[in-house]
Amino acid sequence: MDLKAFQTNVLPLKSKLFRFALRMLGNSDEAKDVVQEVFTRVWTKGKAMEEVHNWEAWCMRVVHNLSIDRIRLNNRQHSVPLSEGLNIVNNAPSPHDRTELVESMRQVSEIMATLPLKQQQVLHLRDVEGYSYKEICDVLDLDMNQVKVYLFRARNALREKLIRMNAYGL
Amino acid sequence: MDSKELERLLQKYWACETSLEEEQMLRDYFRTNSPTDATRDAAAMFAYFDVQRNRQLQDSAIEDKAVGVAKKKVRPFNRFINGSMRIAAGIAVLAVAVWFVRNEIRESTPQEMIDTYSDPELAFEETKRALMIISKGFSTAEQQARKLDLFNEAQQKVRNSVTDEKEANTEL
Repeated sequence: MDLKAFQTNVLPLKSKLFRFALRMLGNSDEAKDVVQEVFTRVWTKGKAMEEVHNWEAWCMRVVHNLSIDRIRLNNRQHSVPLSEGLNIVNNAPSPHDRTELVESMRQVSEIMATLPLKQQQVLHLRDVEGYSYKEICDVLDLDMNQVKVYLFRARNALREKLIRMNAYGL
Repeated sequence: MDSKELERLLQKYWACETSLEEEQMLRDYFRTNSPTDATRDAAAMFAYFDVQRNRQLQDSAIEDKAVGVAKKKVRPFNRFINGSMRIAAGIAVLAVAVWFVRNEIRESTPQEMIDTYSDPELAFEETKRALMIISKGFSTAEQQARKLDLFNEAQQKVRNSVTDEKEANTEL
């Protein structure tokens, strides 16, 4: 792999890689370190990268593995800051709706943080990054059925908890 | 998208049966339409996913550092040195391995088998040379033996003449 291919195919992935690392680690600085490490590994792999069919999925997989290593090393639960990105809402039609939506999103963020890590990962890759089931299988090293089960559980847990929160304030 | 179509897609979405295209349609819908009471939970989720997707890593230092590392590693001289070192290390390992294997074979082979010849002509020449050395040794020994014989004969003659002289004096 030459420098040009690295710059045009790998470096633009930095935000996606960062988002996924942040989802797993819940710490912006650590997520940046992981992204840096991924870039170094891609470059070090050199010509062998030409044999990789899907560079993006490969990079995401490295992010996943490095993040898991860090979680194990620090022996801590992953957590995502509740305030992440909640101030970026421009499309809500009215100030009232906007306020309501921000509150709902805060609730979604809280619920997301309570889901098991695998469910969070699958939900993130599908609903945030728009990955196909096959790509999710490649990134997380799971089979298709496992991915669908995790996604089903994550979406429905999120929905049920949201409904319960809105209905009973729980 | 009408409400029936929206409801149908949401049913599929909760059952994880939507395609990526259908999920994109749902995203587009919630991005531009106010939620109803029935779709409030889904709207909140899609809005949250949208916000997450738009998060960008603005830190250009990561890219600069990655490119810096890449440029540093791509220098032709470094590549040449790396390549040469690898080849030299390979040759050294091979030489040491050959030396050990040769030693091992020599130690495990009986002494009489070492230094023998597999080529008959070479073996013949070597045998001839060995016989010549032996023959040369024999002829040297023969010369020495002749000298000893000559010395013995001379000694015997001297003894005989002394004895004759003694006998002659006695008769007188």
